[in-house]
Amino acid sequence: MPAIRTDGLTKRYSGGVLGTEVTAIDDLDLVVREGEVYGFLGPNGAGKSTTIDVLLDYARPTAGTVEVLGHEVQANPGAVSDRVGVVPEGYGLYERLTGRRNLELAIDWQSGTDDPDRLLDRVGLAAEDASRPVGDYSKGMTQRLALAMALSGDPDLLILDEPSSGLDPNGIRRLREIVREEADGGTTVFFSSHVLSQVEAVCDRVGILDDGDLVAVDTVEGLREAAGASSTLELTVDDPESIGLGSRDGISDVEIRGNRLRVTCTDSRAKARTVADLVERGHDVVDVGSESASLAEIFAVYTNESDGQSDDAEPRPEVVA
Amino acid sequence: MTLAQVARKDFEDAVRSKMVWGITAVFVGFMLFVMLAAMGSSDTSDATGDAALGLTAQLSQLFVPLIALIVGYMAVVGERRSGSLRVLLSYPHSRRDVVFGKLAGRSLVIALALGAGSVASILVIALLVAPPDPGNVVGLLASIVLFGVGFTGLAVGISASVRTRGKAMAVAIGSLLVFLLVWDAAAAGLYAVVTGSLPGLHAEAWFFLAKRLSPVGAFRALAGGFVEGQLSPFVRMGLEDLPRDASAEQLALSNRVDGPLPFYLSEWFAAATLAFWGAVPAVIGYLRFERSDV
Repeated sequence: MPAIRTDGLTKRYSGGVLGTEVTAIDDLDLVVREGEVYGFLGPNGAGKSTTIDVLLDYARPTAGTVEVLGHEVQANPGAVSDRVGVVPEGYGLYERLTGRRNLELAIDWQSGTDDPDRLLDRVGLAAEDASRPVGDYSKGMTQRLALAMALSGDPDLLILDEPSSGLDPNGIRRLREIVREEADGGTTVFFSSHVLSQVEAVCDRVGILDDGDLVAVDTVEGLREAAGASSTLELTVDDPESIGLGSRDGISDVEIRGNRLRVTCTDSRAKARTVADLVERGHDVVDVGSESASLAEIFAVYTNESDGQSDDAEPRPEVVA
Repeated sequence: MTLAQVARKDFEDAVRSKMVWGITAVFVGFMLFVMLAAMGSSDTSDATGDAALGLTAQLSQLFVPLIALIVGYMAVVGERRSGSLRVLLSYPHSRRDVVFGKLAGRSLVIALALGAGSVASILVIALLVAPPDPGNVVGLLASIVLFGVGFTGLAVGISASVRTRGKAMAVAIGSLLVFLLVWDAAAAGLYAVVTGSLPGLHAEAWFFLAKRLSPVGAFRALAGGFVEGQLSPFVRMGLEDLPRDASAEQLALSNRVDGPLPFYLSEWFAAATLAFWGAVPAVIGYLRFERSDV
């Protein structure tokens, strides 16, 4: 039994009398297996939050069905809400109540017996902060509290919509640890984000949503291969012009820039072979650099968005020799 | 019992709202001010506690709906706009629990605020004028609370029906204006169309029913039984063709209708009307909320 399954899910918003109809999700078939950490990736406006809204019965689908933990959501609203923990998009907490009181209410509503202190400690919210009204919280503190509330009642499924927004690097690291711990404990995690490095770091599988369509589902590695967004080898040599690499196995492109060769490899093993080959042929290899395709590039391939995302578009250097 | 959980949360949240306390304070303050002014200007020697009670009822016609609408109109739409509804619904609360839990929570807030306000003004009456009849005090208090809860149901129903704060406010203010200004005039207009003349000192019984079908009219009918003299509408439009020097005796309902009073002009019927205004808009609001996207 999958933790989440959608079948032909479509959601259109009518634009009113004068507006135009908007299709937010179009015939989406999504399967999230039990126990996995599933990254739900897509640019802003791709339909991620709409999908989550339908999963949680905040929004009603135009067509198609949705099953969460084996129950059809629209037919049995609330059948599984005591087993699902959520950090929804655009949520708000009760600002006049303290952080601790918000959390106590959440525990109470889940008929849970969690110790609020333990949960606060887990998400890294200090006790003195927890005793202040939530209205005074920063975005990051609110996000930590919301995560603690989602974790109350030991859910079987965690649905996190952009959970890292507003978190500082410490908070992000803690979030990753929590996601891994939960997954180790058997919880399925559905992690939606437009920040690629977040998804890459924690997810077993990634689904890429673009314009309401699921354009790819695979492991991060699998996506790299499938997209042909390969790794790049950059060599600094004295005489780049004289090196004929020709058409070798695993090399798709060779580009010369000054005294540097950019070799695009579809198979990362081709990198080592190329370096060994050049050294053997007596070329003086001054420097070797290598970049692995980041999800940003893969993402761009699938979503036809060459400019990518501002903070993650940079390919990350893997080795700088 | 998640409805009770929602109600409890809502009550807890609302009593921390400065607005609710502010409104209650304004209500009590205004009551006292008008009462003292009215007593200062009249000869207090013949003022009775029960007449002063009538003044409280008179002022309640405007203030109770106003307070209930202010406290209730944001109940659901406010959480919708802030996003806390998304959190609330991620727990095992159904949308029905949310609407009726809110209704219960806000009704409790209103009942306490109006109860406190009314008790304060009745205490002042007892100290400054004369202690009113205890039976009338209890009856009036109950009428005011029922009136407030009825309007809270209307307000929560409006709040559940719409998507924006602006719409909720517009509908709430619009309905208040209809009940305070338009309803009685429309009833008189209808009477003129049906019978060919404006309602006079003697009129068909159904005209009085038409006026009592609004929550404000129902409150007037209900509270009128506990105060001395006739409760008149807050805004008098002069649409009824009444002699200027008509005595209270002549204006009494039993003298304006031929024969014995029908059941629908009883105080019980007025109380049921108020309960209807509390329940039906809330149910309609819930049905609209159930079908909409959050």
